[in-house]
Amino acid sequence: MHLIETRDLTYVYPGGVTGLDGVNFIAPRNARIAVIGANGAGKSTLFKHFNGIMKPTSGQVLVHGEPITRANIREVRKMVGVVFQNADDQIFSPTVEQDVAFGPTNLGLDEETVQHRVQEALRMVGMEDRATRVPHHLSGGEKKRVAIAGIIAMEPQVLVLDEPTAGLDPQGVSDLVGFINSLSRTYGMTVIFSTHDVSLVPEIAEYVYVMGGGKIVARGNMSDIFEKDELLTSVRLDLPCIPKLIRSLWEHGIEIDMAYTQKDAESAFLRAFRGSG
Amino acid sequence: MIEDLFLIEKQTYRDSFIHRLDARVKIIISFAAIIAMVAVPYSTTVYSVGSLLIIFFLVLWVFSRLPPSVYIWRLVMVLPFGIFIIVAQIFFTNPHYAVFHPIVTLPLNIHIYAESVEFATILLVKFLVCISFIILLSSTTKMQDLLEGAGRLGFPPEFSLIMGLMIRYLFVFAYMYRKVTEALETRCFNPLSREIPWKYRIRMLGYTIGTMFVRAYEQGERTYYAMLCRGYDRDSRLFIRKKPLVPGDWCFLVCGMVVVVAAPILVWFDIIRLI
Repeated sequence: MHLIETRDLTYVYPGGVTGLDGVNFIAPRNARIAVIGANGAGKSTLFKHFNGIMKPTSGQVLVHGEPITRANIREVRKMVGVVFQNADDQIFSPTVEQDVAFGPTNLGLDEETVQHRVQEALRMVGMEDRATRVPHHLSGGEKKRVAIAGIIAMEPQVLVLDEPTAGLDPQGVSDLVGFINSLSRTYGMTVIFSTHDVSLVPEIAEYVYVMGGGKIVARGNMSDIFEKDELLTSVRLDLPCIPKLIRSLWEHGIEIDMAYTQKDAESAFLRAFRGSG
Repeated sequence: MIEDLFLIEKQTYRDSFIHRLDARVKIIISFAAIIAMVAVPYSTTVYSVGSLLIIFFLVLWVFSRLPPSVYIWRLVMVLPFGIFIIVAQIFFTNPHYAVFHPIVTLPLNIHIYAESVEFATILLVKFLVCISFIILLSSTTKMQDLLEGAGRLGFPPEFSLIMGLMIRYLFVFAYMYRKVTEALETRCFNPLSREIPWKYRIRMLGYTIGTMFVRAYEQGERTYYAMLCRGYDRDSRLFIRKKPLVPGDWCFLVCGMVVVVAAPILVWFDIIRLI
């Protein structure tokens, strides 16, 4: 049984525009999944279906094999945490601590447990010393961390991040990558994220969905997706930096294994240099 | 007006003995002073009670190490709302006096009565005392601390949550307003400039206000979705940690309450009469 599954999911906006068109999506347990696509591809609309914020026009969304209903919506939202693109949409309490505590408080937990979860979530995102700060005194990156902490404090099984790196500086992106990976590896959390930054995809994800025009146009691992130039061009995306560089080296006759992540690239380059030396 | 929001916030982040007091203590003393002032019957006794409370306020203001200009500026901003009602009183009779003596007669049979002037002065004193304590409270206490303090004092959780949202988004919209203003200034738009037609200026201002409304609506929708994602329902409330008062807070609370309660009692029994 998959944690999240959509079957022929279709959503038509009130204005008649089709947001999603027959989307079949599967998120297994402990997976790290990237959803990539140009603006308006339907990524955010798809994410809002995962925890019942949007209701399908047709098709089904199954969480733990169960369709989302009014009866189980609370459980679903506890299980599937969605972090929105703009942190200001998600931080609505006057202080960081109160905002992170909002979800656990709604779960009916006692004060001690709420406080423990808040401290733990803030520690995980490296914001434990900013608990009493007001949100408008935080930087964009800090707000993003608080927004994530607010979801983590609910201890979801699936963390859905809509454009998590939007507006972050390079160090902020790097910190976030490390943090998301640790969530998945240490806590066994399933992570689903959308991004325009294709270079980020191999650093976090192990599986990729490509969306275009409200449809899933391709799915697969890194090599399945990033070896198809036409596919990437058709959805207005580009190759990540590392495979792009390796391809460029191939054109110059340098033999080197294809790699997608920085770590794999390092090994591939060392092998190539040692081989040639 | 929007910039004043940041100015008020800036004052609350200063450091002083008064700033460091627990919000509950400041709320209780401020509201006690307001109630003490409002509860004094309409008579010239108000002048003495008001004077004592204003002296108490001034002592607190000095301890807060805030410049007098902050108080004067904020008072000037608030005065028009009260002054209009107070000034209007001098032209009317009121149920607090049996006989009215005109001191000025104006055309259309309008009179200014000596008793009404006295009544207006009493109102002014009450208004000044109340506003002064509110200015002190809001200049020395962060909004979020005020909310937490009120919550700990038993403010209904439904209101705390809504007030919390209001405080948060007041600043979000203040920043949004700033960005919109900067965008207009970047493109050299000045609503007071006579170099561009007034119709155009009004239309552009209309567009800007309309945009702010649409953004507010959209923000509300997105925020509501985000709240739903985190289990928001009718039982939702703001998380307010339990926090005991430290001995210093208790001490100040007791001393402050003694002053606030003693002022009207001492004047009432004629032990003190300043005016």
